[in-house]
Amino acid sequence: MMSDQTAVAQVQPVRTEAYLDFLQMLSGVALVMFMWAHMILVASVNLDLGGGRVMNWIAHFFEATYMAQIGGPMIALVMLAHFVLAARKLPFKAREQKEMWRHSVRLNHLDTWLWVIQAVTAFIILIMGCIHMWTVLTDLPITAQKSGARIQGGWWMLFYIFLLPMIELHVGIGAYRIGVKWGWIKRSNRQFFHGLENKITLIFITIGVITLFTFYVLVKPM
Amino acid sequence: MGRPLKFNIFRYNPEDPASVPHMESFHLEETDAMTLYIALNRIREEQDPTLMFDFMCRAGICGSCAMMINGRPDLACHTKTKALPAEINLMPLPVFKLIGDLSVDTGTWFRNMNERVRSYIHTDKVFDPNADEERMSNELADEIYELERCIECGCCVAACGKANMVPNFMGATAFNRVARFMMDPRDQRKTDDYFEIVATDDGIFGCLGLLGCEDVCPKDIPLQDQLGMLRRKMGWASVRHLFDKILPGGDAKKK
Repeated sequence: MMSDQTAVAQVQPVRTEAYLDFLQMLSGVALVMFMWAHMILVASVNLDLGGGRVMNWIAHFFEATYMAQIGGPMIALVMLAHFVLAARKLPFKAREQKEMWRHSVRLNHLDTWLWVIQAVTAFIILIMGCIHMWTVLTDLPITAQKSGARIQGGWWMLFYIFLLPMIELHVGIGAYRIGVKWGWIKRSNRQFFHGLENKITLIFITIGVITLFTFYVLVKPM
Repeated sequence: MGRPLKFNIFRYNPEDPASVPHMESFHLEETDAMTLYIALNRIREEQDPTLMFDFMCRAGICGSCAMMINGRPDLACHTKTKALPAEINLMPLPVFKLIGDLSVDTGTWFRNMNERVRSYIHTDKVFDPNADEERMSNELADEIYELERCIECGCCVAACGKANMVPNFMGATAFNRVARFMMDPRDQRKTDDYFEIVATDDGIFGCLGLLGCEDVCPKDIPLQDQLGMLRRKMGWASVRHLFDKILPGGDAKKK
């Protein structure tokens, strides 16, 4: 006779893959929200044309409440977890990579290309995002003057001008794809959300470029 | 005089050891209302009787003549040549087993798919041939019919990045099939029964949301809406199950 446990195992479907996919979506939504909020907060340096009073006040608030000290490493962990969860869907075998590339070139279909961009930017963000977080979080407090000095060094300007579109593309496409995959974006409103995704991505890249300009030109370094 | 058309057609016969995969060019003059089906038949009749391709209904109903037309899966019988450039590349559908030239074996794939999703009404009720048919509203019948229109041509599978990478991936046609039975009040299966079939990384949770399927379906079936509905339904079912398990007073066996 079967034990109760065996019987339960037979009738209950395995739910691990459902949980992992759900977590991938949740961590994705959290990171999209964080990245957009992060961009807006850093762009506060533009409000007083690089004077840094608003940005320094915001940075001080996050440090005084320990949100930077605790939240920063937490975001790093969420990013890492999101990468591991999402990487389960990426082609790691040479045969799969070849098939996907051949398919993308052959079909030449916008949403398929957007996924390829997302997959490539994921690796770039993983490495460059970790470098950025380590550099900033091991050199607290954050001030506009310190950030300005770093960016005016030259190499960091190149670093951020490359990282900015990588992140905004990944985040914009990711938000759109979460909507598609989980059925919030339907056939009837797909065009609208596709357009919205493009506009949001473009707006955030523009804000980022203006902010980098402010750090590079207007902020007086320490 | 019509446009001169150049057809670059994939040629390979796996049954012939001497055959080597290659592209072969054929030339035709375009005629009024010419479809690819007409063009292929003319090439076979006038230029090369060994050219292999599938067709049956000529009317976009049987799904036999699906092929890659300039890189995009579509039905040869309802593709007009005037909608295409003068040079047309024709390849067999990927993912499916090649029979020869443009002909692929979609039948075996679809039989496996239908067996895998248990594509029939599951009920305990004993069929009574003398009883009146069970009634359902016209609206619901229309909704079911909308999904039932799938002709199993394989275009959605060929346009799916995941199906091209992972041969075991179920594909949008399977999800559409499941969605159709979930809608049907005569099918007594519960969410957990469907969960077991589709809620895996080879099923709905493996779908990357690339929407190639949605954009190429020759029958314009709302595949995107089925993918979204299925993932949300299966995702929430798993979360509900987790909460039932961990919260006091929850009942994990509830469906």
